[in-house]
Amino acid sequence: MMRKSRVLKKIGLGIGGGLLCFAAVAPVLLAREAGEIKTNPETFYSEFFEQSFYDEGVNLLDFGRWGRKIFRQEIPSANVNVFDEVPDSSFFTNRHGRKRLSAEEIEKGYRENNGPDLSQPLRVIEAEQRGIYPRFWVKDAQDEEYLLEFDPQIALDLSTGAELVASRFYYALGYHVPQYTPLFFNPDQIQAVSAAMTWEDTGFKKPLTQKRLMEYLLVLPQNAQGLYRASAQKIPQGEKKGPFSFEKRRKDDPEDIVNHRDRREIRALGIFASWLNHFDLCETSTQDFLVHEGGQNVLKHYLMDFNGALGATREGPKDPMLGHEHAVDYGETLKTMFLLGFREKPWQKKWREDKEIVPGSPAVGYFTNQYFDPAGYKTFFPYESLRMATRADGFWAAKLLADFSDADIRAAVKAGEYENPEDAEAIAKTLIERRDIIVRHWFSCSSPLDQFESSGGRLSFKDLAVEKGFESGDGTLYRAEIFTQGKKGKKIAELEAREPLLALDPSWTAAGSGVRVILRTLRPSSKKPGPAVEILLNADGVQGIRHED
Amino acid sequence: MTGLRSFKHIGFFLIFVFGFVAIGSAAEKDAERYAPVYTEPLTSRSLKDPLSALLELPFRLIKYPMDKGLIFTENHRLDKKTLWVYERMVEKGFTPLLGGSETTLIPYYGGEFNLMAIAKQKEKYPDFIATATIMHGPTAFFLVGSEVGAQRIAGTGLHAGGLFQYHMREKEPFYGIGPKTSRGEGTSFKMETTQLTANAGYNFSPSIDLSGAFTYRNVNITNREHDGKGDITKIFANEVIPGLNGERLLSYEAALSRDTRDSRDQASKGSYQKFLFKYTDGTDHSSARYFTYLVDMAKYFQIASPRRVLVPRFFMEYNQQIDGGTVPFFEMAKLGSSGTFPTRSQTARAFVYNRFYAEGAMLLNLEYRYTVMQYKDFKLNTALFVDEGQVFSDFGKIAMKYFKTSYGVGFYLSYAKTTLLAFSVAHGNEGTQFYIDNKIAF
Repeated sequence: MMRKSRVLKKIGLGIGGGLLCFAAVAPVLLAREAGEIKTNPETFYSEFFEQSFYDEGVNLLDFGRWGRKIFRQEIPSANVNVFDEVPDSSFFTNRHGRKRLSAEEIEKGYRENNGPDLSQPLRVIEAEQRGIYPRFWVKDAQDEEYLLEFDPQIALDLSTGAELVASRFYYALGYHVPQYTPLFFNPDQIQAVSAAMTWEDTGFKKPLTQKRLMEYLLVLPQNAQGLYRASAQKIPQGEKKGPFSFEKRRKDDPEDIVNHRDRREIRALGIFASWLNHFDLCETSTQDFLVHEGGQNVLKHYLMDFNGALGATREGPKDPMLGHEHAVDYGETLKTMFLLGFREKPWQKKWREDKEIVPGSPAVGYFTNQYFDPAGYKTFFPYESLRMATRADGFWAAKLLADFSDADIRAAVKAGEYENPEDAEAIAKTLIERRDIIVRHWFSCSSPLDQFESSGGRLSFKDLAVEKGFESGDGTLYRAEIFTQGKKGKKIAELEAREPLLALDPSWTAAGSGVRVILRTLRPSSKKPGPAVEILLNADGVQGIRHED
Repeated sequence: MTGLRSFKHIGFFLIFVFGFVAIGSAAEKDAERYAPVYTEPLTSRSLKDPLSALLELPFRLIKYPMDKGLIFTENHRLDKKTLWVYERMVEKGFTPLLGGSETTLIPYYGGEFNLMAIAKQKEKYPDFIATATIMHGPTAFFLVGSEVGAQRIAGTGLHAGGLFQYHMREKEPFYGIGPKTSRGEGTSFKMETTQLTANAGYNFSPSIDLSGAFTYRNVNITNREHDGKGDITKIFANEVIPGLNGERLLSYEAALSRDTRDSRDQASKGSYQKFLFKYTDGTDHSSARYFTYLVDMAKYFQIASPRRVLVPRFFMEYNQQIDGGTVPFFEMAKLGSSGTFPTRSQTARAFVYNRFYAEGAMLLNLEYRYTVMQYKDFKLNTALFVDEGQVFSDFGKIAMKYFKTSYGVGFYLSYAKTTLLAFSVAHGNEGTQFYIDNKIAF
């Protein structure tokens, strides 16, 4: 059972009924033990059918969805707390956004150990051939299990680097990811155990012999020292329960109360994927593990498989359309159909301008910001939950991204251990630029005001767009409307300030009373004030924050 | 001094205490900011309103077994196994065949046996061909044949071969001869053809070929009524229809062809031209004696991009009677259907298969193809097309009023320039026709 927090007691004053619908605070049960949890059998094919055909079809029969589209209504995220933040959960733990991680911590990422112990040869217990490339499940000298994935030919560092780097970012953002470490080994340091089996690309499972293992290695690139390079994913402890849905909650998990579609950290995945060019972010790249923590069973939700991030895919550099179109994209298809093919899509233009050649190093792949649209990034599947990200969700995600300094980004890219430092710099540079594009976009279409503090009759806050250098503070006007508390609060004042600081009448927040402040930003470049942020205040200070969806 | 030092100590102590309190307070504030305290209790809400959920229910019932099937397929790699089995069959000398037939919705099936591969002589004699084919389209046709030859003789451009084929077509539609026939007055006939061909030619380059062929054909026409419709002789009692009792024909053929397309199936550039001359003579008291002239050409124009291709195609065939001979009706030029089997009926998509028969036929197809979706090697093309064609008995009788117009739209899904599915719909003055196939006409 959770304790009632001090905040809860403070807010129990009953302030409510604002434009942005603050209601009475209620306690929430947390950390209830997971009982019998079924394994989700979903596979890539079933997900492809569901997301690309079934859901796209039945969405047309969803009246609620039509209503929201016609009347431009949004469904706010349901798991945000009174301060418009996402509390820690089995999906997400606030890390870099809450307390800045050091460059070393970012580079390290999630870490249980230093990766496979090569003091004895790695024992391959299972293998799979996908196309011509293999991947191996191995056990090391410490009997720890890892999944080894490799780079495609002529592109050493490409996929393994993408996996190592993207895992660092997702972890720093707050998601659960397995440990990923780079691994360099020679053929003497790997051997097949006698019972090992392999799924050949023919679809048949066969015993994995040492000879076959060596044949697999033949197609893999080697570095200048003749070593094979892999990204080693440490298999998380716990019982696998299959992928988690981006839409539905697991009804058999008592902690999984909110539909995943309405979880802010799930909606924001699309924004983070756009930053990391993670086009193949999909449900089947996630995994739930039932773990025993704190004396009870808890279901933890992991993101995995990042070798399709940055400029990479498993087979080589990204195809030009990836990130611009879903695998089956009805909207793009219909637009092109009605315009008789004379509409050149942005990726087609980009590809033409690049003379249909991937520019730059093979280790970087196809990763540039030319024609990158922060609002139009498309993952492989058209997840409704990612499309439902509101302005408030976007602001939250952008705020987290803005917390990554250039040095932080370079630290994460350093984890990719690119052989050529210029490759690492090219990736970092693209990520830095892309971060700015995304943050600028979301800060401009939401209210970028945050970190509200009230004391001594003053309400201070930060204009993150100005603070991060995306807008000039000169000429910016902060316009506030003050309402009394209660369901039908009465407007009692209007204030304007040139600085992010409002002087309040002490009587408004005298003991036993409170006010609701609706604050908007008016930029000199815009005639209309931006979206609102609503703040609840009483004598104890700020009691609640909500950015407009 | 002691007092001053004490004050100093107190000062440091206070700074330390205040600092600690400030840090503690900040930590507490931070904890509050991320505390799991909500404006309302976290609850699970239904994803859809009850009516929308109810509407979805029947689809869920369909989805359930599909999901199970897909999961089973993927977990057991059935798709990969199937592909592997197919590739091994082809490698060992058997290629399964499947496709759509013109007269029925039931697809045909069959296979081609590569006898060189079966005899494990393919690597030793890579230029030699020895195949046997068997195909069956239920209620439509049965075909069995064999071809032997060499694609290249002694490393030169010379090639030669021989073909034997038995082809039985269950219900070949017939609506009369000439441009003024009525679709309502139609019947069908059964046709059995036994064919023996010897051919030889020379490849001047990979794109230019000159070939000659000698063919003997024995054609039997039987069962000239189907599905309650009358016999041809009764329906067309006032017309002379040559070849109604079948024919034995000898043909001598010369053909010059040039093909510079980047793909036979999904061309986006290049062109092809084919010029054919054939002399056919009937044997055993047959009156058949005629020349055949055939021109078939198309050019694939890219409109500023390989994603936009305009294809004009011109086709003309004329069978000229000589020495008072006749042209058997089943050998005449024919128009109607999608034309994916061009040796039988040419592309006039708003009209049914074999809708028009006559000594000559002229056809102009104009098709604009553009890519509307592309994902890696998968491509979906949309095609807008117009077909203008007419049949005629001689050139002097060609008239604008006899041109038959089809217009419509097609969707061609391909993978790596191989058509997987082609769906077309065409409209003309005889109604609308739909086609589903795994190849396109040109």
